[in-house]
Amino acid sequence: MTENCITVKDLTIGYKRHCVLSNINFSIKRGELAVIFGPNGSGKTTLFKTILRIIPPLHGTIIYGNSHYPKFGYVPQRQHLDEIYPFTAEEVVLMGTFGTVKPFSPTPGKNRILVEQCLRDVGMLEFKKQLFSELSGGQKQRILIARALATQPDVLLLDEPITGIDVHAQKKIIELISELHSKRQLTILMITHEVHHIPKWVNKIIHIHHYKVVLGSLEEIVALSRIDEIPNEGTDTYGTII
Amino acid sequence: MEQLFEILSPHFLLRNALYAGLLVGLVCPQVGIFFVLRRMVLLGIALPQVSNAGIAFAFLLHTLGWHFFAHMESEKVMALSGSIVFTLIAIFTLAILERVQKGFTENRIGFTYALAGAASILFVAWNPYGQTEVLSMLRGEIISIPDLYLLSMLAIYGAIFIFLIGFHRNFILVSYDIDMAITLGKKAILWDILLYLIIGVVISFGVMNVGPLVIFGFLLIPPMAARMVTRGISMFCIISSVIGVAASFIGFYLSYRFDLPTGPTDVALLCIIFALLFIGKIIFRLKR
Repeated sequence: MTENCITVKDLTIGYKRHCVLSNINFSIKRGELAVIFGPNGSGKTTLFKTILRIIPPLHGTIIYGNSHYPKFGYVPQRQHLDEIYPFTAEEVVLMGTFGTVKPFSPTPGKNRILVEQCLRDVGMLEFKKQLFSELSGGQKQRILIARALATQPDVLLLDEPITGIDVHAQKKIIELISELHSKRQLTILMITHEVHHIPKWVNKIIHIHHYKVVLGSLEEIVALSRIDEIPNEGTDTYGTII
Repeated sequence: MEQLFEILSPHFLLRNALYAGLLVGLVCPQVGIFFVLRRMVLLGIALPQVSNAGIAFAFLLHTLGWHFFAHMESEKVMALSGSIVFTLIAIFTLAILERVQKGFTENRIGFTYALAGAASILFVAWNPYGQTEVLSMLRGEIISIPDLYLLSMLAIYGAIFIFLIGFHRNFILVSYDIDMAITLGKKAILWDILLYLIIGVVISFGVMNVGPLVIFGFLLIPPMAARMVTRGISMFCIISSVIGVAASFIGFYLSYRFDLPTGPTDVALLCIIFALLFIGKIIFRLKR
């Protein structure tokens, strides 16, 4: 049986004393692709940041794998990154290696090779000298995915990776995520607020709706969204995928 | 040309002022890039004013017979202490208010600037003995720097420069994407505090030695100019300091050649460089 990579138990999340979501329970298995789906402001990003230990949980526990804290590759919402910074695409990806480089030392050659490889993997090698701020939405997203890959992650977390980009670019990003999932066997956790952004081949959907967390298959979540009926229990499980 | 050779001579009478200017031109833009990139330019205006108020306050205390350092007669040490204390209190108060998001950033900085400006003038007005010194600092008069102050400036600015270069990745990452920094295991709050400390020390020490106008000019204008003409963060940082050092040297030469006050000449030259680069960029775009 595949081991759990992330197990969330009775988790309550929020900022300071303000609770955003409570009674969250789910687990992600190694190599799974899971989607956190819910409307804007429902607490998806807060849940992500809690998993990443950026903000502490208000209550409950998160268990990471069996023994060690996994390496996370985080792809934030690109709108949150200020375009005043004159980074080239290559420099943005290079940031992914900052966790391994010692102070006062130049960038090691192996990191430069890794960055080139990550840029190649996302199909952006030819744009490496281009300013990040001058790229299109889809291209920026690819660069941010490459940056996350440069951390050599066990788990890839993508926050709204296909929001605000054109349909063609959306398709390309979904293809890229699919490829990373299948070829690299990466565990992927992705946020979206639009149901048609959820790939059909997703393993698990964590649906946040009316301040409750529901797990289920794509069909069940779509059905739930349509009839807008969520049981009164805090967390419920639907389907057999979990 | 004769004056240029004179300036370059190791026995040049005003060499300390030249070296201090070059140090400011090299180091201040490296701190200033964080003002520009973090969109804290207004803070770059307000903090030198706060530092100035600290100096004026220290002079006032000294004249009134209050001493921070009982056995030290030096007014300069008192002034530096006042500058550092006022600047650090201001920067950390503003940073804490920013973090808890109380009110608007611009309002807070505007209030700080107005308060510090008024306080500086009042402290000077109450202290007629300190008036000449503080007014000369306000004008940015960097001519009279003794060896001891130059050496201490070299030590402090040199250490800060090396520190900023050595930990460049951490400062940039924490400024650009704090979430990513935490994910990579960086202690984001620690790096933020260190950056604020560096800003506080650079401004306090700089204002003390070369005046608020010069510090403000060298903190902000070189990075603003460099950002227009560079691609990539590394080139941006290098060109910022190149502009700072070049403006400092040419400004010193012009002020010596035409008998002008050095600080304002340096800042005016920085503005001219900024304007020329801006025009050059427009022409370059039109040609493309």
